Amino acid sequence: MKKLFVILALAALGVVLLWVVGKMPEMGDSRTPDKTHVVPRYIEDGVKEAGAENLITDVILNYRGYDTMGEVAVIFSALCAVIALLDREKRGVSRSAVDASQVRSSRIVRVTVRILFPVIFLFAVYLILHGENSAGGGFQGGAVIGASIIVFTLVFTLIESTRDIPLTLRVILESLSVLTFLAVGFIGVFKGVEFLTYILPGLSPGVAGALRSQVFMMSIEIAIGVAVGAIFTSIVFAMIKEENFELEPHIPEP
Amino acid sequence: MNWTLNLVLLTFLVGTAFAMIMLKDLLAAAVVFSAYSLIMAIMWSQLRAPDLALTEAAVGAGVTTVLFVITIFRTVRKENR
Repeated sequence: MKKLFVILALAALGVVLLWVVGKMPEMGDSRTPDKTHVVPRYIEDGVKEAGAENLITDVILNYRGYDTMGEVAVIFSALCAVIALLDREKRGVSRSAVDASQVRSSRIVRVTVRILFPVIFLFAVYLILHGENSAGGGFQGGAVIGASIIVFTLVFTLIESTRDIPLTLRVILESLSVLTFLAVGFIGVFKGVEFLTYILPGLSPGVAGALRSQVFMMSIEIAIGVAVGAIFTSIVFAMIKEENFELEPHIPEP
Repeated sequence: MNWTLNLVLLTFLVGTAFAMIMLKDLLAAAVVFSAYSLIMAIMWSQLRAPDLALTEAAVGAGVTTVLFVITIFRTVRKENR
């Protein structure tokens, strides 16, 4: 009976979804979202108004700067939650759950990661620095940085090396994105324009690719990249720390 | 456009989605989810959304899978029935 109800509900949902898809305008139609509402303005004036050649970067960092600041704050709060739950004591002291000499990751994996790690890291830096002109940007680059460090950690149990990074530096790196956003926002306020205005009075706007119209977006982009990489790494480090980790998978009593 | 490639990708997408629901071994489900994200990343680049494709590949296929695997190792591997 319950199963029948579930199937009926799913079928109804499927019918509704297909019906809506049938109502959508054809690709290239003049009623598609990219030709209505606010999008034509982004496409026509985005480069001039926002300053980056990649329109997606224009929208994310400039037109929708508040949203991005909120997202960055969300990622930061996720890290805060993980630390509050898992990593309350002795945050700076992190020892690997696994003795490095006991690691038995296969030689193929180790050699592959050793060769690929610098390439992945370089690609991440490229993504961050070229987010203005091509696909990519701070978040994507930061995620790739985080992923590369995490892979390196998982294969080589490099977590012991986090002891060498002072806790203060880690905290600064993790909170860099929110702080930079606020700093850039308030520079505008002190200059007499609205919060998060990148093009200040006195600077001529709208030369795509010119450094002066990009310098604020660039600094935010780099800050987001560094912070996202640091936050992802810190979350995984907090989860695999020794005092929170039982090597034997925990099996509850039946 | 390249409809054969899209057809193959979408078939695999639906297949991995179903496998993810059906699998009782959570570790296997996490690996299948990684494959799902990889196909999704290719789909995004097919749909000319390279920024999304990069995010999907790095976050969906990379970091999320690692988080799932660590969580599974710290909790239980089999789904309760």
